[in-house]
Amino acid sequence: MAAEDHELTISRYINAPPARVWTAWSTAEHLEKWWIPAPIECKVITLDLRPGGGFETLMREGGGAFQPHVNGCFLEVIPEARLAFTTVMSAGWKPIEPWLALTAIMSFEAVGKGTQYSARVLHKTESDSRKHEEMGFQEGWGTAINQLAQLVEGPV
Amino acid sequence: MASLDAAFHALADPTRRAVVSRLVRGPAPVKELAAPFAMGLPAFLKHLRVLETDGLIRSEKVGRVRTCWVNSDRLAAAEGWLSQQRALWQASADRLADYVELQMPRSMDDGG
Repeated sequence: MAAEDHELTISRYINAPPARVWTAWSTAEHLEKWWIPAPIECKVITLDLRPGGGFETLMREGGGAFQPHVNGCFLEVIPEARLAFTTVMSAGWKPIEPWLALTAIMSFEAVGKGTQYSARVLHKTESDSRKHEEMGFQEGWGTAINQLAQLVEGPV
Repeated sequence: MASLDAAFHALADPTRRAVVSRLVRGPAPVKELAAPFAMGLPAFLKHLRVLETDGLIRSEKVGRVRTCWVNSDRLAAAEGWLSQQRALWQASADRLADYVELQMPRSMDDGG
């Protein structure tokens, strides 16, 4: 994989048609169920599915107060096909200084009876990433190893 | 970068990620590692071989029992900034798949 140092692509086949996967992504009550790994709770504040629409989610660990999670702005919304948002802007294309600058482009492709779900995520340059790392941007998320452990434990 | 590519490859599969997650908590015999998975032992051993070839785990056979443990050095190398982000997004896709396939009410098929 010759990916650049600031871009990643992941892909996953889902055994359900794009309409269903899209619904899970585009409906607050469903998004809250999977967007953040359990046992951390997720609350969807804004899910305004149109270009310039806001995307805001909060997270809460161990019954404390809800903390900021994602605050972004949708760039492209093509139901059951493509969804893109960025964290460098909030609702209405308002420029902001995010704790992690990224643009995420999700695609939902019908494959047989299921969906090939992919996410391409663009970050700033590596030096900027390093800066984020020094600032401890992973706070509240734990390490990749912890994330891996959560993969098997997943939402109950 | 070669080691990172290998780590990405090794962790690109949910079964292999689950095995590594388990081994992070301590060494385990192959039999115990295979137990949670609904696949034949040959298929499971193939996954273990990928993990071992890519250097994410090590194993040793004592008598008739092969025990595996995590290769911390390689896992630490895989813990670079981008791979952390990758792990987050891959985990998110896996959770989405699990939710849609196993938990989402059937009556919600029409898009929102």
